[in-house]
Amino acid sequence: MQIEHVQKFFENKVFILLFIVVWEILSRSGLVNNLFLPPFSSVLETIWQLLINGSFSASVLISLQRAVLGFVVGVLIAVPLGFWLSVWPRGLQMSIWPLLKVAEQANPFILFHVVILFAGIGEFAKTIILSWVCLWPILFSICDGIKNANTDILKVGASFGLSRWQLFSKITIPMVMPSLFTGLRISAGYAFFLLIVIEMMGSNSGLGWFVLSNQENYNIDRIYAGAVTIAVLAVFIDFILKSIEAKLLSHQYPEIIN
Amino acid sequence: MVGAIDINSVIKKFTTDDGNEITALDGVDLNIKAGEFISLIGPSGCGKSTLLRLIAGLSTPTKGTLSMDGAGIEGTSYERGLVFQNAMLFPWLNIYDNIAFGLKARNVYRKHKERVSKFINMVSLAGFEKSYPHQLSGGMIQRAGLARVLINDPKVLLLDEPLGALDAFTRMNLQDELIHLWKKEKMTMILVTHDVDEAVYLSSRIVVMTPRPAKVEKILDVNLSYPRVRSSSEFLYLRTQILKILDYAGKTEDPGYFI
Repeated sequence: MQIEHVQKFFENKVFILLFIVVWEILSRSGLVNNLFLPPFSSVLETIWQLLINGSFSASVLISLQRAVLGFVVGVLIAVPLGFWLSVWPRGLQMSIWPLLKVAEQANPFILFHVVILFAGIGEFAKTIILSWVCLWPILFSICDGIKNANTDILKVGASFGLSRWQLFSKITIPMVMPSLFTGLRISAGYAFFLLIVIEMMGSNSGLGWFVLSNQENYNIDRIYAGAVTIAVLAVFIDFILKSIEAKLLSHQYPEIIN
Repeated sequence: MVGAIDINSVIKKFTTDDGNEITALDGVDLNIKAGEFISLIGPSGCGKSTLLRLIAGLSTPTKGTLSMDGAGIEGTSYERGLVFQNAMLFPWLNIYDNIAFGLKARNVYRKHKERVSKFINMVSLAGFEKSYPHQLSGGMIQRAGLARVLINDPKVLLLDEPLGALDAFTRMNLQDELIHLWKKEKMTMILVTHDVDEAVYLSSRIVVMTPRPAKVEKILDVNLSYPRVRSSSEFLYLRTQILKILDYAGKTEDPGYFI
């Protein structure tokens, strides 16, 4: 059992490990100029040094804080909005749909400049643009979840003589949960991804700013340190959401566990 | 006794997405006495299930009236329990919570908590309370679906091909359980099926319906005592009668076409 566990762990990660080993070899052997590609081990060392020195962990924390805030605001708007939209009459839903799809496609980086006009360049503008981006996947996942819901299950609920509110809370919500979680995970990924760029565009703190300012100073070690940290955090955020999803839903929906 | 259903000249029309009007039921008259075991049988797509859904209150007739014990049927009620073909258990609830669902929804769970284990035992699912629907076999799921409806003490049980998706042996076992249940609880049973054997084996009256638009073609009394023997001559005679009405009694010559 133990051995199987270890084996499984390495099976999943073998290509990541291989990638790191190739990186290390390329750099150490001089095949690629290690000024441009420092060895992975020295990137790790840089991260360690940065963490000890303090200011870097502040950047990590402030980025995480921004991402979480934008995500949470997005969820708080999208969830009620999504359920509310789904009770609109079908014709009206059909006519608002194209507008929503266009809004989803609006380029957030361009939109950011518009938001800055109204909200200035501070934290508020970042929260607005992040929650905007988080809004759409969640909204659409709820609408899709309800549209593709098993109408027979709703009929079962109705045949018990449930009220409208009971139908919604006892049938619709649990039925939409798996789809909603897909939306949440996409949004969380977007939020972090976008945040880094936005911090590069207009900010004096956070991981995006950290990478950009080190690029300007040719601190190549630190660029890689920032990049690796960002990648690890993105994986970590997805891992957390995946764990919550598995904990909440895996009993009912075995297909989720993988 | 309660649980009588009266159906008076019911017409049900649907409009499809491309605007065509379909008449599913074209003037159905049927009086079902309390405590009867009625089977509705007919070719598939003839509107049997439509009729059952009207009785359940899930939809309203285009014309005509439906009433239960003299009062018009408006909306759904736990007094008319509906069992679907695939049981349609809630996949996010375990077996216990699925069966307790009706009690909780009506806020009487605290008062009747002991009923849950009673009905779990009745459908032989003790030990599976914590299991989720996807972990059970088809027969178990169907029994759980039955318990989920029966726990509400319905006066009328509406069965929409509840055994249609089961294998032959599980099916026959559950048929016996249905008869047992019907005799014990003395409720009205209305079963939609396209299995002639099942109809003859279970019902006290069989309603044969015409192809769409559906009307009542013929009503046959089944004056056989329970338990019934599937191979008895009366059983087989009745079975043949129904197949003849439905035009499936067998052909004496080739159909003239082959697939």
